[in-house]
Amino acid sequence: MILFLQQIINGLSVGSIYALIALGYTMVYGIIKLINFAHGEIMMAGAYFAFLVGVHLGLPFFAVLIISMIGAAVLGVFIEFIAYKPLRKAPRISALITAIGVSFFLQNLALVIFKAEPKIMPNLIVKRPVNIGSLQIGTVTLATLALSIGFMIILDVFVKRTKPGKAMRAVSEDKDAALLMGINVNRTISITFAIGSALGAVAGVLFGVMYTQVYPTMGVMPGLKAFVAAVLGGIGLIPGAVLGGFVIGMVETITKAYLSSQWSDAIVFGLLIIVLLIKPTGILGKNEKEKV
Amino acid sequence: MLKVENIDVYYDKIHAIKDVSFNVKKGEVVTLIGANGAGKTTILKTISKLMEPSHGVILFEDQPLNKMQPHQMIYLGMAHVPEGRRVFAKMSVHENLQMGAYIRKDKAGIESDLEKVFNYFPRLKERINQPAGTLSGGEQQMLAIGRALMSKPKLMLMDEPSMGLAPILVQEIFNIIDTIKESGTTILLVEQNANQALQIADRAYVLETGKIINSGDAKELLADDTIRQAYLGG
Repeated sequence: MILFLQQIINGLSVGSIYALIALGYTMVYGIIKLINFAHGEIMMAGAYFAFLVGVHLGLPFFAVLIISMIGAAVLGVFIEFIAYKPLRKAPRISALITAIGVSFFLQNLALVIFKAEPKIMPNLIVKRPVNIGSLQIGTVTLATLALSIGFMIILDVFVKRTKPGKAMRAVSEDKDAALLMGINVNRTISITFAIGSALGAVAGVLFGVMYTQVYPTMGVMPGLKAFVAAVLGGIGLIPGAVLGGFVIGMVETITKAYLSSQWSDAIVFGLLIIVLLIKPTGILGKNEKEKV
Repeated sequence: MLKVENIDVYYDKIHAIKDVSFNVKKGEVVTLIGANGAGKTTILKTISKLMEPSHGVILFEDQPLNKMQPHQMIYLGMAHVPEGRRVFAKMSVHENLQMGAYIRKDKAGIESDLEKVFNYFPRLKERINQPAGTLSGGEQQMLAIGRALMSKPKLMLMDEPSMGLAPILVQEIFNIIDTIKESGTTILLVEQNANQALQIADRAYVLETGKIINSGDAKELLADDTIRQAYLGG
């Protein structure tokens, strides 16, 4: 029973990382209907930013985290500006292929700059077990869970209550109507990329600290699984990304613990297929009919 | 207040608007009438910069609009109630009205204008926290008009506000347009319901396949036999 509870907490912790990445996918999809396949690489870049700052400047965890978030946000906005913005009116497939291209470009750029061998992430969070009753949980697991949930709450408040957050929702619903309200659509799209990328960086830093390694292809699998999470929950929906992330993290952890670690990825992707067969719009997605 | 001079607009290669010129003076209600596909919506979209004319000039308060961005138009005092209402379906009625006041910073003024909109449309107040997508067509139209009013516009562009509404609602919407006019807002109204439009308008332009074929005093056009036959059902 204790072991099972511990697995649940591990699952939540891994899931919260997927959820953070999935938020970036879903926000970008919500606003420009693009699956930003380079998002996993933003997460990787975030981890490298943290590695550089952590090793060379020796700053404490929160300073490293914030610098990494800013770095990733700038990178995300820059990518949108040079790669996606010129394709705003092009067919969606063109932007999608471009996103895959950007993903490969960033992976190879990291390979050139940092070489293939993994870098060791400095111990940004002191690693020791914490006893909660008879449960023993690592500080990294707890910090991951707490930080992820904290950022999700901040995001929720931002999107629901603040003016730029409301502008974001307006743009994602109807760009022309948003323009008529005086909303600067290009700037709103940039803000969306900045926030999505910063959340991806948080995931990258936590992932790097959890597995102590940073390497050029580290964004590929988490990125793919987070994409699955976003689709599973209902792409374009913020609560869907969070739910999908936790479901994927949980299923993966439980299968690894009780079934087979080799099969866990196959089960995760199989789950996506099943959910999409039953409910093509994802768990929280609705088939919306426009009122005429 | 608004001068449209010799504009041509294309959809790819389709020449939708052909050398159209007209003007709207301060305090007037001017209507563009014409059949479906005559180019009425295209003209409004071109004025609010959602489309670009290939040729010609549009002046708002003597300022040419050719270098302006679409999101800047509302800062000049222009508000557009688009065809098909285009309310933000997942946002609440209150949030939709807040988006209408997006460019304003005067909190007290926004609150008092909100009350004004609720006075025009008490039904919106009853549904203040409901997502706009759950409103009826007529209520959505009221919301679209209210949202445009929240920017305190000098000029309102209204695109088919009566489209698809029950006759009793059509009357209600036109009464509101009349009230907005009385409050001093200039209105450019596009309508297929030519009869109603001509009754509240000061002047009108008749549009046919992208060209203005007739214009004049709204009451005179209302009495004109050829207009009656073509647009008012005899």
